Amino acid sequence: MIQLDRASLRYGHILGLSPTSFELPDGGGITGLLGPNGAGKSSLLQLLSGLLPPSGGEVRVFGEAPFRNPAVLARLGLVPEGDRLPTGLRADRWLRMMGELSGLSGEGLNAAVAKALATVGMADRAHLTFARMSKGMRQRIRLAQALMHEPELLILDEPFNGLDPEARLTLMALLRSLAEGGTRILVSSHILGEIAQLTDRILLLFRGRLLAEGTVTEIRQLLDRHPVELRLTGGAQVLARWAVEQPELAALRMEEDAVVLSVRSPRDILPRLQKAAAEGGLPLRALDPLDLNLDAVFQYLTKDHA
Amino acid sequence: MSAAPSPLATIRATARGYLPRVFQGRGWVLASLVMVPVALSLLIYTVAQTKGGEGGPRPGEALKIFHEVLVKMMLPIMALVAAPAGIREDLEQRTLPLLLVRPAPVWALPLGKGLPWFAWGAAWLIIGTLGLQVIGGDPSLLPGRLAALVSAWWGELALMTLVGLLFKRGTLWGAVYFFLWEPWVRIFPPFLQRLTFTHHIESLAGSRAAEIQTNQLLAQEQVTTHPVFACLALLAFGGLCWALAGWKLHRTAHGLAGNEAEG
Repeated sequence: MIQLDRASLRYGHILGLSPTSFELPDGGGITGLLGPNGAGKSSLLQLLSGLLPPSGGEVRVFGEAPFRNPAVLARLGLVPEGDRLPTGLRADRWLRMMGELSGLSGEGLNAAVAKALATVGMADRAHLTFARMSKGMRQRIRLAQALMHEPELLILDEPFNGLDPEARLTLMALLRSLAEGGTRILVSSHILGEIAQLTDRILLLFRGRLLAEGTVTEIRQLLDRHPVELRLTGGAQVLARWAVEQPELAALRMEEDAVVLSVRSPRDILPRLQKAAAEGGLPLRALDPLDLNLDAVFQYLTKDHA
Repeated sequence: MSAAPSPLATIRATARGYLPRVFQGRGWVLASLVMVPVALSLLIYTVAQTKGGEGGPRPGEALKIFHEVLVKMMLPIMALVAAPAGIREDLEQRTLPLLLVRPAPVWALPLGKGLPWFAWGAAWLIIGTLGLQVIGGDPSLLPGRLAALVSAWWGELALMTLVGLLFKRGTLWGAVYFFLWEPWVRIFPPFLQRLTFTHHIESLAGSRAAEIQTNQLLAQEQVTTHPVFACLALLAFGGLCWALAGWKLHRTAHGLAGNEAEG
Protein backbone atom coordinates (compact mmCIF):
# COMPACT_ATOMS: atom_id res chain seq x y z
CA MET A 1 0.00 0.00 0.00
CA ILE A 2 2.78 2.44 0.97
CA GLN A 3 6.32 2.32 -0.37
CA LEU A 4 9.06 4.82 0.31
CA ASP A 5 12.34 4.42 -1.51
CA ARG A 6 14.94 6.82 -0.13
CA ALA A 7 12.30 9.53 -0.03
CA SER A 8 13.46 12.80 1.50
CA LEU A 9 11.98 16.22 2.05
CA ARG A 10 13.69 19.58 2.30
CA TYR A 11 12.27 22.96 3.31
CA GLY A 12 14.78 25.21 1.63
CA HIS A 13 18.04 24.44 3.44
CA ILE A 14 16.35 22.58 6.25
CA LEU A 15 16.11 18.83 6.00
CA GLY A 16 12.62 17.76 7.08
CA LEU A 17 13.09 14.07 6.37
CA SER A 18 16.32 12.24 5.58
CA PRO A 19 16.25 9.61 2.82
CA THR A 20 13.82 7.07 4.21
CA SER A 21 12.70 3.68 2.97
CA PHE A 22 9.95 1.44 4.29
CA GLU A 23 6.84 -0.39 3.17
CA LEU A 24 3.42 -0.88 4.67
CA PRO A 25 1.45 -3.82 3.33
CA ASP A 26 -2.12 -3.79 2.02
CA GLY A 27 -5.00 -4.46 4.37
CA GLY A 28 -6.28 -2.96 7.58
CA GLY A 29 -4.35 -2.20 10.71
CA ILE A 30 -2.96 0.68 12.71
CA THR A 31 0.61 1.87 12.47
CA GLY A 32 1.86 4.46 14.90
CA LEU A 33 4.26 7.09 13.71
CA LEU A 34 6.21 8.08 16.73
CA GLY A 35 8.80 10.71 17.41
CA PRO A 36 9.43 13.87 19.41
CA ASN A 37 8.49 17.28 18.05
CA GLY A 38 10.55 18.05 14.95
CA ALA A 39 11.28 14.38 14.25
CA GLY A 40 9.84 14.55 10.75
CA LYS A 41 6.44 12.95 11.39
CA SER A 42 4.42 15.67 9.67
CA SER A 43 6.91 15.75 6.78
CA LEU A 44 6.41 12.04 6.23
CA LEU A 45 2.64 12.35 6.45
CA GLN A 46 2.66 15.22 3.97
CA LEU A 47 4.61 13.09 1.51
CA LEU A 48 2.19 10.21 1.91
CA SER A 49 -0.93 12.34 1.62
CA GLY A 50 0.31 14.00 -1.56
CA LEU A 51 0.53 17.52 -0.12
CA LEU A 52 4.24 17.77 -0.86
CA PRO A 53 6.35 15.98 -3.47
CA PRO A 54 9.56 14.36 -2.24
CA SER A 55 12.76 16.39 -2.68
CA GLY A 56 14.53 13.14 -3.49
CA GLY A 57 13.72 9.47 -3.82
CA GLU A 58 10.30 8.05 -4.47
CA VAL A 59 6.98 7.86 -2.64
CA ARG A 60 4.32 5.42 -3.79
CA VAL A 61 0.87 5.03 -2.34
CA PHE A 62 -1.37 2.40 -3.95
CA GLY A 63 1.46 1.95 -6.44
CA GLU A 64 1.48 5.59 -7.65
CA ALA A 65 3.08 8.91 -6.71
CA PRO A 66 0.48 10.71 -4.56
CA PHE A 67 1.33 14.38 -5.27
CA ARG A 68 -1.61 15.94 -7.21
CA ASN A 69 -2.72 12.45 -8.20
CA PRO A 70 -6.54 12.13 -8.08
CA ALA A 71 -6.40 8.33 -8.34
CA VAL A 72 -4.46 8.17 -5.06
CA LEU A 73 -6.19 11.07 -3.32
CA ALA A 74 -9.62 9.48 -3.90
CA ARG A 75 -8.49 6.53 -1.78
CA LEU A 76 -6.98 8.34 1.20
CA GLY A 77 -8.20 10.61 3.95
CA LEU A 78 -6.13 13.07 5.95
CA VAL A 79 -6.79 14.58 9.37
CA PRO A 80 -4.14 17.30 9.63
CA GLU A 81 -2.71 18.53 12.88
CA GLY A 82 -4.07 21.63 14.52
CA ASP A 83 -7.39 23.30 15.00
CA ARG A 84 -7.82 24.75 11.55
CA LEU A 85 -11.16 24.98 9.82
CA PRO A 86 -12.55 27.70 7.55
CA THR A 87 -14.16 30.55 9.43
CA GLY A 88 -17.81 31.41 9.08
CA LEU A 89 -19.07 28.13 7.68
CA ARG A 90 -21.52 25.56 9.01
CA ALA A 91 -20.10 22.10 9.54
CA ASP A 92 -22.76 20.19 7.60
CA ARG A 93 -22.52 22.46 4.55
CA TRP A 94 -18.74 22.37 4.62
CA LEU A 95 -18.81 18.59 4.82
CA ARG A 96 -21.12 18.47 1.80
CA MET A 97 -18.60 20.54 -0.13
CA MET A 98 -15.75 18.27 0.93
CA GLY A 99 -17.81 15.27 -0.12
CA GLU A 100 -18.46 16.81 -3.54
CA LEU A 101 -14.75 17.54 -3.90
CA SER A 102 -14.16 13.86 -3.19
CA GLY A 103 -16.43 12.95 -6.09
CA LEU A 104 -19.61 12.19 -4.15
CA SER A 105 -22.97 13.46 -5.37
CA GLY A 106 -26.73 13.03 -5.01
CA GLU A 107 -28.05 10.48 -2.57
CA GLY A 108 -24.59 9.01 -2.11
CA LEU A 109 -23.38 12.38 -0.84
CA ASN A 110 -26.30 12.78 1.57
CA ALA A 111 -25.77 9.29 2.92
CA ALA A 112 -22.00 9.82 3.25
CA VAL A 113 -22.45 13.09 5.19
CA ALA A 114 -25.03 11.52 7.49
CA LYS A 115 -22.90 8.42 8.07
CA ALA A 116 -19.71 10.37 8.74
CA LEU A 117 -21.49 12.67 11.20
CA ALA A 118 -23.07 9.72 12.97
CA THR A 119 -19.71 7.93 13.15
CA VAL A 120 -18.06 10.85 14.92
CA GLY A 121 -21.13 11.54 17.06
CA MET A 122 -21.89 14.96 15.60
CA ALA A 123 -25.18 14.32 13.80
CA ASP A 124 -27.18 16.61 16.06
CA ARG A 125 -24.66 19.45 16.18
CA ALA A 126 -23.55 19.66 12.57
CA HIS A 127 -25.68 22.75 11.93
CA LEU A 128 -23.36 24.84 14.10
CA THR A 129 -20.68 27.08 12.64
CA PHE A 130 -17.09 26.14 13.45
CA ALA A 131 -16.73 29.23 15.62
CA ARG A 132 -19.51 27.95 17.90
CA MET A 133 -17.97 24.50 18.31
CA SER A 134 -15.61 23.30 21.01
CA LYS A 135 -12.14 22.10 20.08
CA GLY A 136 -13.21 18.49 20.49
CA MET A 137 -16.23 19.00 18.24
CA ARG A 138 -14.06 20.56 15.56
CA GLN A 139 -11.65 17.64 15.79
CA ARG A 140 -14.56 15.27 15.20
CA ILE A 141 -15.61 17.25 12.14
CA ARG A 142 -12.05 17.08 10.83
CA LEU A 143 -12.21 13.34 11.27
CA ALA A 144 -15.61 13.20 9.56
CA GLN A 145 -14.27 14.97 6.46
CA ALA A 146 -11.55 12.33 6.18
CA LEU A 147 -13.98 9.43 6.58
CA MET A 148 -16.74 10.58 4.22
CA HIS A 149 -15.44 8.92 1.11
CA GLU A 150 -14.52 5.72 2.99
CA PRO A 151 -10.78 5.88 2.33
CA GLU A 152 -8.63 2.77 2.30
CA LEU A 153 -5.79 4.71 3.91
CA LEU A 154 -6.49 7.11 6.75
CA ILE A 155 -3.69 9.42 7.85
CA LEU A 156 -4.00 11.26 11.16
CA ASP A 157 -1.46 13.81 12.35
CA GLU A 158 -1.50 14.20 16.14
CA PRO A 159 -5.25 13.53 16.31
CA PHE A 160 -5.42 13.37 20.11
CA ASN A 161 -4.10 16.88 20.73
CA GLY A 162 -6.61 18.95 22.61
CA LEU A 163 -9.07 16.13 23.20
CA ASP A 164 -10.37 15.34 26.67
CA PRO A 165 -9.79 11.80 28.01
CA GLU A 166 -13.28 10.62 27.08
CA ALA A 167 -12.96 11.93 23.53
CA ARG A 168 -9.54 10.25 23.25
CA LEU A 169 -10.98 6.90 24.21
CA THR A 170 -13.87 7.35 21.80
CA LEU A 171 -11.49 8.23 18.98
CA MET A 172 -9.26 5.27 19.78
CA ALA A 173 -12.24 2.91 19.73
CA LEU A 174 -13.34 4.38 16.42
CA LEU A 175 -9.88 3.95 14.89
CA ARG A 176 -9.70 0.34 16.09
CA SER A 177 -13.09 -0.45 14.56
CA LEU A 178 -12.07 1.18 11.27
CA ALA A 179 -8.86 -0.84 11.24
CA GLU A 180 -10.79 -4.03 11.88
CA GLY A 181 -13.02 -3.08 8.96
CA GLY A 182 -10.03 -3.09 6.60
CA THR A 183 -8.84 0.53 6.73
CA ARG A 184 -5.09 1.04 6.97
CA ILE A 185 -4.51 3.77 9.55
CA LEU A 186 -1.33 5.73 10.02
CA VAL A 187 -1.44 7.85 13.14
CA SER A 188 1.30 10.14 14.36
CA SER A 189 1.93 11.24 17.91
CA HIS A 190 4.74 12.40 20.13
CA ILE A 191 3.02 10.86 23.15
CA LEU A 192 4.09 7.27 23.64
CA GLY A 193 1.11 6.27 25.74
CA GLU A 194 -1.35 7.18 23.02
CA ILE A 195 0.37 5.05 20.44
CA ALA A 196 0.95 2.22 22.91
CA GLN A 197 -2.78 2.09 23.65
CA LEU A 198 -3.63 2.05 19.99
CA THR A 199 -1.16 -0.25 18.33
CA ASP A 200 1.98 -2.31 18.74
CA ARG A 201 3.27 -1.62 15.23
CA ILE A 202 5.32 1.56 15.03
CA LEU A 203 7.55 3.65 12.84
CA LEU A 204 9.99 5.55 15.00
CA LEU A 205 11.34 8.84 13.69
CA PHE A 206 14.02 11.00 15.26
CA ARG A 207 15.64 14.13 13.83
CA GLY A 208 14.29 13.46 10.36
CA ARG A 209 15.45 9.83 10.28
CA LEU A 210 13.52 6.60 10.47
CA LEU A 211 15.17 4.80 13.39
CA ALA A 212 13.09 1.67 13.61
CA GLU A 213 10.07 -0.07 12.16
CA GLY A 214 8.10 -3.04 13.44
CA THR A 215 6.42 -4.15 16.65
CA VAL A 216 7.80 -3.00 19.98
CA THR A 217 9.07 -6.52 20.72
CA GLU A 218 10.75 -6.83 17.33
CA ILE A 219 12.48 -3.49 17.73
CA ARG A 220 13.49 -4.24 21.33
CA GLN A 221 15.19 -7.45 20.24
CA LEU A 222 17.32 -5.50 17.82
CA LEU A 223 18.67 -3.31 20.59
CA ASP A 224 21.61 -5.57 21.52
CA ARG A 225 23.47 -2.77 23.27
CA HIS A 226 20.76 -2.49 25.86
CA PRO A 227 20.25 -5.67 27.94
CA VAL A 228 16.65 -6.32 28.96
CA GLU A 229 15.84 -5.44 32.54
CA LEU A 230 13.80 -7.94 34.54
CA ARG A 231 12.62 -7.36 38.10
CA LEU A 232 12.30 -10.54 40.12
CA THR A 233 10.26 -10.06 43.30
CA GLY A 234 10.57 -12.52 46.15
CA GLY A 235 13.55 -13.65 48.21
CA ALA A 236 16.05 -11.19 46.84
CA GLN A 237 19.17 -12.84 48.27
CA VAL A 238 18.34 -16.29 46.89
CA LEU A 239 17.30 -14.89 43.52
CA ALA A 240 20.52 -12.89 43.26
CA ARG A 241 22.62 -15.97 44.08
CA TRP A 242 20.85 -17.90 41.32
CA ALA A 243 21.22 -15.02 38.86
CA VAL A 244 24.99 -14.55 39.18
CA GLU A 245 25.47 -18.12 37.96
CA GLN A 246 23.65 -17.41 34.68
CA PRO A 247 25.88 -16.62 31.67
CA GLU A 248 23.37 -14.13 30.19
CA LEU A 249 23.60 -11.78 33.17
CA ALA A 250 25.10 -8.41 32.38
CA ALA A 251 24.30 -6.54 35.58
CA LEU A 252 22.43 -6.94 38.82
CA ARG A 253 20.81 -4.41 41.15
CA MET A 254 19.35 -5.14 44.54
CA GLU A 255 16.06 -3.57 45.63
CA GLU A 256 13.96 -4.07 48.73
CA ASP A 257 12.37 -7.52 48.35
CA ALA A 258 13.44 -7.67 44.69
CA VAL A 259 16.39 -7.99 42.39
CA VAL A 260 16.70 -6.31 38.99
CA LEU A 261 18.63 -8.28 36.39
CA SER A 262 20.05 -6.93 33.14
CA VAL A 263 20.18 -9.90 30.78
CA ARG A 264 21.43 -10.10 27.22
CA SER A 265 19.27 -12.93 26.01
CA PRO A 266 15.99 -13.15 27.91
CA ARG A 267 14.75 -15.95 25.65
CA ASP A 268 17.45 -18.23 27.03
CA ILE A 269 17.33 -17.30 30.67
CA LEU A 270 13.54 -17.14 31.10
CA PRO A 271 12.86 -20.89 30.55
CA ARG A 272 15.54 -21.74 33.15
CA LEU A 273 14.09 -19.23 35.59
CA GLN A 274 10.60 -20.63 35.05
CA LYS A 275 11.85 -24.18 35.58
CA ALA A 276 13.73 -23.32 38.76
CA ALA A 277 10.75 -21.47 40.20
CA ALA A 278 8.39 -24.33 39.32
CA GLU A 279 10.65 -26.85 41.03
CA GLY A 280 10.50 -24.77 44.20
CA GLY A 281 14.16 -23.82 44.13
CA LEU A 282 13.51 -20.07 43.84
CA PRO A 283 11.25 -17.91 46.04
CA LEU A 284 9.87 -15.97 43.05
CA ARG A 285 6.57 -14.13 43.52
CA ALA A 286 6.55 -11.87 40.45
CA LEU A 287 8.46 -11.24 37.25
CA ASP A 288 8.23 -7.81 35.57
CA PRO A 289 10.05 -6.86 32.38
CA LEU A 290 11.02 -3.20 32.95
CA ASP A 291 12.02 -2.10 29.49
CA LEU A 292 10.06 -4.23 27.09
CA ASN A 293 7.69 -1.36 26.43
CA LEU A 294 7.48 1.43 23.90
CA ASP A 295 8.74 4.03 26.32
CA ALA A 296 11.99 2.16 26.92
CA VAL A 297 12.48 1.36 23.26
CA PHE A 298 11.99 5.00 22.42
CA GLN A 299 14.43 6.15 25.11
CA TYR A 300 17.16 3.72 23.99
CA LEU A 301 16.79 4.53 20.32
CA THR A 302 16.77 8.28 20.72
CA LYS A 303 19.67 8.14 23.20
CA ASP A 304 21.73 6.03 20.81
CA HIS A 305 21.11 8.41 17.91
CA ALA A 306 21.33 11.68 19.76
CA MET B 1 -14.08 4.60 -4.00
CA SER B 2 -15.63 7.60 -5.74
CA ALA B 3 -14.46 9.05 -9.06
CA ALA B 4 -12.64 12.38 -9.14
CA PRO B 5 -15.06 15.29 -9.67
CA SER B 6 -15.00 17.21 -12.95
CA PRO B 7 -13.65 20.79 -13.04
CA LEU B 8 -17.22 22.08 -13.37
CA ALA B 9 -18.39 20.04 -10.39
CA THR B 10 -15.38 21.33 -8.43
CA ILE B 11 -16.15 24.97 -9.26
CA ARG B 12 -19.83 24.46 -8.43
CA ALA B 13 -19.11 22.67 -5.13
CA THR B 14 -16.54 25.25 -4.00
CA ALA B 15 -18.70 28.22 -4.98
CA ARG B 16 -21.74 26.75 -3.20
CA GLY B 17 -19.69 25.73 -0.17
CA TYR B 18 -18.17 29.16 0.37
CA LEU B 19 -21.25 31.17 -0.64
CA PRO B 20 -22.28 31.88 3.00
CA ARG B 21 -19.02 33.81 3.47
CA VAL B 22 -20.26 36.67 1.29
CA PHE B 23 -23.22 37.28 3.61
CA GLN B 24 -20.88 37.95 6.51
CA GLY B 25 -18.88 41.01 7.57
CA ARG B 26 -16.56 41.28 4.62
CA GLY B 27 -19.45 40.87 2.20
CA TRP B 28 -21.33 43.78 3.75
CA VAL B 29 -18.19 45.92 3.67
CA LEU B 30 -18.04 45.15 -0.03
CA ALA B 31 -21.68 46.14 -0.49
CA SER B 32 -21.20 49.35 1.47
CA LEU B 33 -18.25 50.39 -0.68
CA VAL B 34 -20.68 50.69 -3.57
CA MET B 35 -23.80 51.72 -1.78
CA VAL B 36 -22.51 54.35 0.66
CA PRO B 37 -21.41 56.87 -2.03
CA VAL B 38 -24.47 56.13 -4.14
CA ALA B 39 -26.81 56.40 -1.15
CA LEU B 40 -25.14 59.65 -0.04
CA SER B 41 -25.57 61.12 -3.51
CA LEU B 42 -29.20 60.05 -3.54
CA LEU B 43 -29.71 61.57 -0.10
CA ILE B 44 -28.14 64.87 -1.11
CA TYR B 45 -30.15 64.85 -4.32
CA THR B 46 -33.38 64.12 -2.44
CA VAL B 47 -32.71 66.80 0.17
CA ALA B 48 -31.93 69.29 -2.59
CA GLN B 49 -35.15 68.38 -4.34
CA THR B 50 -37.28 68.74 -1.23
CA LYS B 51 -35.65 72.05 -0.32
CA GLY B 52 -36.67 73.30 -3.70
CA GLY B 53 -33.16 73.80 -5.01
CA GLU B 54 -32.10 73.29 -8.55
CA GLY B 55 -34.66 70.85 -9.80
CA GLY B 56 -34.31 68.09 -12.34
CA PRO B 57 -31.76 65.36 -12.90
CA ARG B 58 -28.04 66.03 -12.59
CA PRO B 59 -26.22 63.93 -15.19
CA GLY B 60 -22.89 65.58 -14.44
CA GLU B 61 -23.11 64.48 -10.83
CA ALA B 62 -23.93 60.90 -11.77
CA LEU B 63 -21.07 60.86 -14.26
CA LYS B 64 -18.66 62.14 -11.64
CA ILE B 65 -19.69 59.61 -9.01
CA PHE B 66 -19.47 56.78 -11.53
CA HIS B 67 -15.98 57.61 -12.80
CA GLU B 68 -14.32 59.35 -9.89
CA VAL B 69 -15.77 57.34 -7.02
CA LEU B 70 -16.95 53.94 -8.23
CA VAL B 71 -14.41 53.26 -10.97
CA LYS B 72 -11.33 54.96 -9.58
CA MET B 73 -11.74 54.27 -5.88
CA MET B 74 -14.36 51.77 -4.91
CA LEU B 75 -13.81 49.13 -7.58
CA PRO B 76 -10.10 48.69 -6.75
CA ILE B 77 -10.84 48.77 -3.00
CA MET B 78 -13.50 46.11 -3.52
CA ALA B 79 -10.95 43.90 -5.28
CA LEU B 80 -8.43 44.52 -2.50
CA VAL B 81 -11.06 43.59 0.11
CA ALA B 82 -12.60 40.58 -1.62
CA ALA B 83 -9.58 38.81 -3.10
CA PRO B 84 -7.97 37.95 0.28
CA ALA B 85 -11.20 36.15 1.17
CA GLY B 86 -10.73 33.88 -1.82
CA ILE B 87 -8.20 31.08 -2.05
CA ARG B 88 -5.64 33.30 -0.30
CA GLU B 89 -7.72 32.98 2.87
CA ASP B 90 -7.28 29.19 2.89
CA LEU B 91 -3.58 29.68 2.38
CA GLU B 92 -3.29 32.04 5.33
CA GLN B 93 -5.64 30.10 7.62
CA ARG B 94 -3.80 26.90 6.65
CA THR B 95 -7.02 25.19 5.66
CA LEU B 96 -5.79 24.74 2.10
CA PRO B 97 -4.43 21.19 2.74
CA LEU B 98 -7.98 20.06 3.47
CA LEU B 99 -8.88 21.06 -0.10
CA LEU B 100 -5.66 19.83 -1.67
CA VAL B 101 -5.99 16.25 -0.39
CA ARG B 102 -9.19 15.86 -2.41
CA PRO B 103 -9.12 14.30 -5.85
CA ALA B 104 -10.70 17.47 -7.32
CA PRO B 105 -8.68 19.46 -9.89
CA VAL B 106 -6.67 21.97 -7.87
CA TRP B 107 -6.57 24.58 -10.65
CA ALA B 108 -10.36 25.01 -10.41
CA LEU B 109 -10.31 26.00 -6.74
CA PRO B 110 -9.38 29.73 -7.06
CA LEU B 111 -12.21 30.34 -9.52
CA GLY B 112 -14.66 28.30 -7.45
CA LYS B 113 -13.83 30.30 -4.35
CA GLY B 114 -13.82 33.60 -6.19
CA LEU B 115 -17.16 33.21 -7.95
CA PRO B 116 -19.39 33.96 -4.93
CA TRP B 117 -17.43 37.17 -4.34
CA PHE B 118 -17.68 38.09 -7.99
CA ALA B 119 -21.44 37.49 -8.04
CA TRP B 120 -21.99 39.40 -4.79
CA GLY B 121 -19.88 42.38 -5.84
CA ALA B 122 -21.39 42.44 -9.34
CA ALA B 123 -24.91 42.47 -7.87
CA TRP B 124 -24.12 45.53 -5.74
CA LEU B 125 -22.33 47.29 -8.59
CA ILE B 126 -25.43 46.82 -10.74
CA ILE B 127 -27.70 48.10 -7.96
CA GLY B 128 -25.38 51.07 -7.38
CA THR B 129 -25.27 51.96 -11.07
CA LEU B 130 -29.05 51.76 -11.29
CA GLY B 131 -29.22 54.02 -8.23
CA LEU B 132 -27.14 56.62 -10.06
CA GLN B 133 -29.83 56.72 -12.76
CA VAL B 134 -32.14 58.31 -10.22
CA ILE B 135 -29.75 61.25 -9.90
CA GLY B 136 -29.71 61.67 -13.61
CA GLY B 137 -27.53 59.11 -15.32
CA ASP B 138 -27.83 59.08 -19.10
CA PRO B 139 -30.08 56.07 -19.93
CA SER B 140 -28.26 55.49 -23.22
CA LEU B 141 -24.99 54.98 -21.29
CA LEU B 142 -26.49 52.60 -18.73
CA PRO B 143 -25.77 49.27 -20.54
CA GLY B 144 -22.19 50.37 -21.15
CA ARG B 145 -21.69 51.41 -17.55
CA LEU B 146 -23.12 48.14 -16.26
CA ALA B 147 -20.93 46.13 -18.62
CA ALA B 148 -17.90 48.24 -17.72
CA LEU B 149 -18.27 47.81 -13.97
CA VAL B 150 -19.11 44.11 -14.06
CA SER B 151 -16.39 43.14 -16.52
CA ALA B 152 -13.82 45.35 -14.76
CA TRP B 153 -14.82 43.82 -11.42
CA TRP B 154 -14.29 40.36 -12.97
CA GLY B 155 -10.84 41.37 -14.18
CA GLU B 156 -9.72 43.22 -11.05
CA LEU B 157 -10.87 40.46 -8.69
CA ALA B 158 -9.10 37.84 -10.80
CA LEU B 159 -5.95 39.96 -10.95
CA MET B 160 -5.90 40.42 -7.20
CA THR B 161 -6.48 36.70 -6.65
CA LEU B 162 -3.50 35.94 -8.85
CA VAL B 163 -1.33 38.60 -7.20
CA GLY B 164 -2.33 37.18 -3.81
CA LEU B 165 -0.98 33.79 -4.84
CA LEU B 166 2.16 35.18 -6.45
CA PHE B 167 3.24 37.54 -3.68
CA LYS B 168 3.15 37.33 0.07
CA ARG B 169 2.12 41.00 0.21
CA GLY B 170 -0.35 40.75 -2.63
CA THR B 171 -2.67 43.41 -1.28
CA LEU B 172 0.18 45.92 -1.16
CA TRP B 173 1.22 45.19 -4.74
CA GLY B 174 -2.41 45.38 -5.82
CA ALA B 175 -2.79 48.77 -4.18
CA VAL B 176 0.39 49.96 -5.88
CA TYR B 177 -1.00 48.85 -9.23
CA PHE B 178 -4.43 50.39 -8.78
CA PHE B 179 -3.45 53.65 -7.15
CA LEU B 180 -0.04 54.35 -8.65
CA TRP B 181 -0.13 52.82 -12.12
CA GLU B 182 -3.74 53.35 -13.20
CA PRO B 183 -3.82 57.16 -12.63
CA TRP B 184 -0.98 57.51 -15.17
CA VAL B 185 -3.43 56.55 -17.89
CA ARG B 186 -3.90 60.25 -18.69
CA ILE B 187 -0.29 60.70 -19.69
CA PHE B 188 0.39 57.26 -21.08
CA PRO B 189 1.01 56.81 -24.79
CA PRO B 190 -1.82 54.90 -26.51
CA PHE B 191 -0.39 51.39 -26.21
CA LEU B 192 0.16 51.82 -22.45
CA GLN B 193 -3.33 53.27 -22.02
CA ARG B 194 -4.61 49.91 -23.20
CA LEU B 195 -2.80 48.23 -20.32
CA THR B 196 -5.09 49.88 -17.77
CA PHE B 197 -8.54 49.00 -16.53
CA THR B 198 -9.48 52.67 -16.73
CA HIS B 199 -9.04 52.73 -20.51
CA HIS B 200 -11.35 49.76 -21.05
CA ILE B 201 -13.91 51.01 -18.56
CA GLU B 202 -14.02 54.43 -20.24
CA SER B 203 -14.25 52.80 -23.65
CA LEU B 204 -17.28 50.86 -22.44
CA ALA B 205 -18.93 53.52 -20.31
CA GLY B 206 -18.60 56.00 -23.11
CA SER B 207 -17.11 58.99 -21.37
CA ARG B 208 -14.23 60.35 -19.39
CA ALA B 209 -15.36 61.80 -16.11
CA ALA B 210 -13.54 65.08 -15.98
CA GLU B 211 -11.93 67.56 -18.25
CA ILE B 212 -8.17 67.54 -18.59
CA GLN B 213 -6.85 69.89 -15.95
CA THR B 214 -4.39 72.66 -16.70
CA ASN B 215 -1.80 71.06 -14.48
CA GLN B 216 -1.85 67.92 -16.61
CA LEU B 217 0.56 69.33 -19.16
CA LEU B 218 1.71 65.92 -20.22
CA ALA B 219 -1.79 64.65 -20.89
CA GLN B 220 -2.01 62.48 -23.97
CA GLU B 221 -4.84 62.14 -26.38
CA GLN B 222 -7.32 59.59 -25.09
CA VAL B 223 -7.54 56.53 -27.30
CA THR B 224 -10.66 54.44 -27.40
CA THR B 225 -11.30 50.79 -28.01
CA HIS B 226 -14.54 49.50 -29.48
CA PRO B 227 -16.85 48.71 -26.52
CA VAL B 228 -17.25 45.09 -27.54
CA PHE B 229 -13.48 44.61 -27.70
CA ALA B 230 -13.01 46.48 -24.44
CA CYS B 231 -15.54 44.22 -22.73
CA LEU B 232 -13.98 41.12 -24.27
CA ALA B 233 -10.52 42.30 -23.22
CA LEU B 234 -11.59 42.69 -19.60
CA LEU B 235 -13.35 39.32 -19.55
CA ALA B 236 -10.43 37.60 -21.27
CA PHE B 237 -7.94 39.25 -18.93
CA GLY B 238 -9.97 38.06 -15.95
CA GLY B 239 -10.18 34.57 -17.39
CA LEU B 240 -6.44 34.54 -17.95
CA CYS B 241 -5.79 35.65 -14.37
CA TRP B 242 -8.11 32.94 -12.97
CA ALA B 243 -6.33 30.37 -15.13
CA LEU B 244 -2.90 31.56 -14.00
CA ALA B 245 -4.03 31.53 -10.36
CA GLY B 246 -5.20 27.94 -10.83
CA TRP B 247 -1.93 27.01 -12.52
CA LYS B 248 0.08 28.62 -9.73
CA LEU B 249 -1.90 26.78 -7.07
CA HIS B 250 -1.57 23.49 -8.91
CA ARG B 251 2.17 23.85 -9.41
CA THR B 252 3.04 24.99 -5.91
CA ALA B 253 3.31 22.49 -3.10
CA HIS B 254 1.48 23.71 -0.01
CA GLY B 255 2.19 21.80 3.15
CA LEU B 256 0.46 21.71 6.49
CA ALA B 257 2.61 24.49 7.88
CA GLY B 258 2.08 26.65 4.84
CA ASN B 259 5.70 26.14 3.87
CA GLU B 260 6.72 25.20 0.41
CA ALA B 261 9.09 22.29 0.20
CA GLU B 262 11.77 21.85 -2.42
CA GLY B 263 9.77 19.38 -4.42
